[in-house]
Amino acid sequence: MAEAAAPILAVEGLSVSYATPYARLFALDDVSLAIPRGEVLGLVGESGSGKSTVVLAALGLLGEAASVSARRAEFDGRDLLADAAALRGRRIGVVFQDPAAALNPALSIGLQVAEPMLTHQRLPRTEAYARAAALLGELGIPRVAEIMQAYPHQLSGGMKQRAMIAAALAGEPELLLLDEPTTALDVTIEAQILDLLEGLRASRGLSMLLVSHNLGIVGRLCDRLTILYAGRTVETGPTAAVLAAPRHPYTRGLLGALPRPEARARRLLPIPGALPDLRSPDPGCNFRPRCPLAVAACAEPQAMLPAGPARRVRCHRHALVADLPLLLDPVAPSRPSAAAPLVDVEGLTRGFGGPTLLRRRRTRVHAVDGMSLTIHPGEIVGLVGESGCGKSTLARLILRLLPADGGRLAFDGRPVPERPDLAFRRRAQIVLQNPDGSLNPRRTVEAILRRPLAHFGLAQGAAAGREVARLLELVRLPEAYRSRYPHQLSGGEKQRVGIARALATRPDFLVCDEAVSALDVSVQAAVLNLLQDLRDTLGVAYLFISHDIGVIAHIADTIVVMYRGHAMERGPADAVLHAPHHPYTEALLSAGAARQMRLVDTAPSGAGCRFAGACPRKLGAICDIEPPPWREASAGHRILCHIPVEQLARPGLRPGPAGARRPQTP
Amino acid sequence: MGLYLARRLLAMLGVVWAMSVLIFGIIHILPGNVAYAILGEYATPQAVAILEDRLGLHDPLPLQYWHWFSALLHGDLGRSLVMDRPAGPLIFEALGHSAILAGSSFLLVAVFGILLGVHAATHRGTAVDRALTLMQLGFIAIPDFFWAILLILIFAAWLHWLPATGYAPLDGGDLLAWLSHLVLPVFVLSIGLIAHVSRLTRSSMLEALESRYVLAARAKGLPARLVLGRHALPNALLPTITILAIDAGLLIGGVVVVETVFAYPGLGRLLIFAIDHHDLPLLQAGMMVVTTIYALANLIADLGYALLDPRIRVGAHA
Ligand code: SF4
Ligand code: SF4
Repeated sequence: MAEAAAPILAVEGLSVSYATPYARLFALDDVSLAIPRGEVLGLVGESGSGKSTVVLAALGLLGEAASVSARRAEFDGRDLLADAAALRGRRIGVVFQDPAAALNPALSIGLQVAEPMLTHQRLPRTEAYARAAALLGELGIPRVAEIMQAYPHQLSGGMKQRAMIAAALAGEPELLLLDEPTTALDVTIEAQILDLLEGLRASRGLSMLLVSHNLGIVGRLCDRLTILYAGRTVETGPTAAVLAAPRHPYTRGLLGALPRPEARARRLLPIPGALPDLRSPDPGCNFRPRCPLAVAACAEPQAMLPAGPARRVRCHRHALVADLPLLLDPVAPSRPSAAAPLVDVEGLTRGFGGPTLLRRRRTRVHAVDGMSLTIHPGEIVGLVGESGCGKSTLARLILRLLPADGGRLAFDGRPVPERPDLAFRRRAQIVLQNPDGSLNPRRTVEAILRRPLAHFGLAQGAAAGREVARLLELVRLPEAYRSRYPHQLSGGEKQRVGIARALATRPDFLVCDEAVSALDVSVQAAVLNLLQDLRDTLGVAYLFISHDIGVIAHIADTIVVMYRGHAMERGPADAVLHAPHHPYTEALLSAGAARQMRLVDTAPSGAGCRFAGACPRKLGAICDIEPPPWREASAGHRILCHIPVEQLARPGLRPGPAGARRPQTP
Repeated sequence: MGLYLARRLLAMLGVVWAMSVLIFGIIHILPGNVAYAILGEYATPQAVAILEDRLGLHDPLPLQYWHWFSALLHGDLGRSLVMDRPAGPLIFEALGHSAILAGSSFLLVAVFGILLGVHAATHRGTAVDRALTLMQLGFIAIPDFFWAILLILIFAAWLHWLPATGYAPLDGGDLLAWLSHLVLPVFVLSIGLIAHVSRLTRSSMLEALESRYVLAARAKGLPARLVLGRHALPNALLPTITILAIDAGLLIGGVVVVETVFAYPGLGRLLIFAIDHHDLPLLQAGMMVVTTIYALANLIADLGYALLDPRIRVGAHA
């Protein structure tokens, strides 16, 4: 790789620390990165790695509380630490993570996009607005005139992020900083945004810094990667080389912890332990407590050592990393159960809205519309779908936490009444996404775990104490954690407490609603393994709900794909993950298919296929008018589509230029 | 937006109506004979009977209410028993005086409350901010009448700069006299509320300044003036507007106290007069006027809210 051209952004030895009431917090400690002109650098790290701090430091927006130093920090030859204020918005554009929070709710989209042109280029109002409209059009926004006048709350997530990108491009920057640009978005939207960025890079010659925790997306867009761990760069090199043969034990660990559809029969390899305390940085290797290769010499300060062409690694034992296993032993294949179903759901329906006294909505929106589902004892059913598809509503309907409008629900062979008895509540439990919100911050772990025991009259006094010990052991938390409060626990540990609490009543059925979505990959892997083990040892059945098909593919025996309140495809996991696919499943599984999905923001009106508005393989009017039939692809594997199974087996992917918007299907 | 306003207006009318029932009810359910209450305990039975007749007290309560309420709807506020004059003109003259007092106080509260709050938020942690916080706490903690008496002592009794009490009509052309009678009451009325509003504005402004959208605005390279004025302020003012509406209510309460202390001939004093003299029709009418004004203040706040917040102004879908 020729390093002849001066990089557009070069940072060496960047350190950032904050004064906190008790001690100094070292957020970044000797971070170096370089972006050659026209290239995309991926900056990868988990929460607490300091990746967002890098972005803010480059913009000079860390605030007065931060002390920043660097051996070198240059943008196109200019001192970044001194000139950041003059560069940001003009030559450096930024797109932040959650567009719903980053767009100002009180200002029109048009103003927010035109603003940099009004301020920096001093364009007259009409011209700035005309250019803003053109920019929005270039980014694939339909009905531009209308959107210009709209406010953020009127736009879908994907549209908002397009508007954010337009605002970042309005100052005609040469470098775009992207801080987790797709994290808050659905996978299918994510694929389209990444495509868009790829196209912009080519059409505008942009350089980019893509900050992400997601190895999957950096792999798609970036030429080079820099991996950050607890404030330090640990590895850097060409993307393909780093992902194929990581040289740092941490990078290796990240890859091992990532659930992937193609390796679903293997156990994940979590990284043990937690992030080091940033208040007292380890002068030696700070990954030491979690590293399988650690030796005494690792306590010495580690430099970035060359390790192959254009690669550097902060580890003196990097030559040994290649021998570490990426995946553990295969999981025991699930035994298909011939027993009667534990949970039997038929035609469950629930709507929201509808006309009320003062407010008139035209129709009641069906969040869940005739869902049917069976879950056998000890089975893991994975329910995958994007935000708003009704999966969480379905979970609440099945647990009778929300009254259904229609449909039947039976548990263990008996119908469950609208107000279920204590026995049902004991046997069917839920684990929620956000461990922070669901654990009472003023109670100790012991008190949290004793509550359900007392509520259901299961154990008291010393017996309850023994139960707490059993539960902590089940979720592999040390006994000493009894007396801790939630804020003393890490995210993964909190989620373990949440699981232990759900298990306290010895349930037969657990609903896991995005139970691992808020966790970092390295921690998520451990929780997924734990859930899998609990199924094997306790025989608990799960309804495992996630937007992440990778996670679902990893853990589920049976997969149900949900779109707009309805199942689109269902079957044994292996069958669903391999062709033939429903067109929507195909989009979830492959970025290639997702980028051909159409932008839709209106619900289909007719009785036809719910996916017709976005479907890349739509046949024509029949999809709008006729409800599609369930087609049997193989035993137990069914697909709801007008396209015959034989044709679905052939991928619907059309080769097309990256970034181009999908042509309309005739 | 239209629908939103219509709903608000309807709600306001509902509140005013409910209050009319409440006001009427409380006054008539009060223990004791109303006529005796008015005439005093030594009244002759004939006088009581005549008065009860005039008040329509022999009718059933709902009918009495209906007579009173339908007269109200026709703009007839009833008659003051003590002064034996229509209540309307009495109330509206006093209201005029109070409006000057309350209006100028409210203006001061809105302007200084917001300015000081924004200043404190943008100069967080500086000496100015800390001094403001201290003053705010003091002014919120110490009640109106204490200030009133203290100020009268200092500026009227001791320094003789300002008149202690009373009111000078403007039609005499003596602007200075008119103003000098206003200074102390307005100061007393507004100081605590300024502290209240500025504290709240400070915290909502801080919240806006720490938001992602303000960070994004800074990242666009906008000058501080635009970041503050265009991006942070409209969002920060939303809670302030709600508080201003609540403070308008507090102001009405404060007016009663301040007018009494400063012997200022406003609506508050008129109401106290009505209570002292058992002038029930005057009291009822006065309270209805106050209620209506308060409801209107809330309606105006809702309007302001809608103007600043597009989520209300324009519906959910483009
Ligand atoms: S330096 Fe030692 S502890 Fe650190 S990553 Fe390398 S082998 Fe592991
Ligand atoms: S029925 Fe038509 S619109 Fe629906 S998934 Fe099949 S091809 Fe696409």
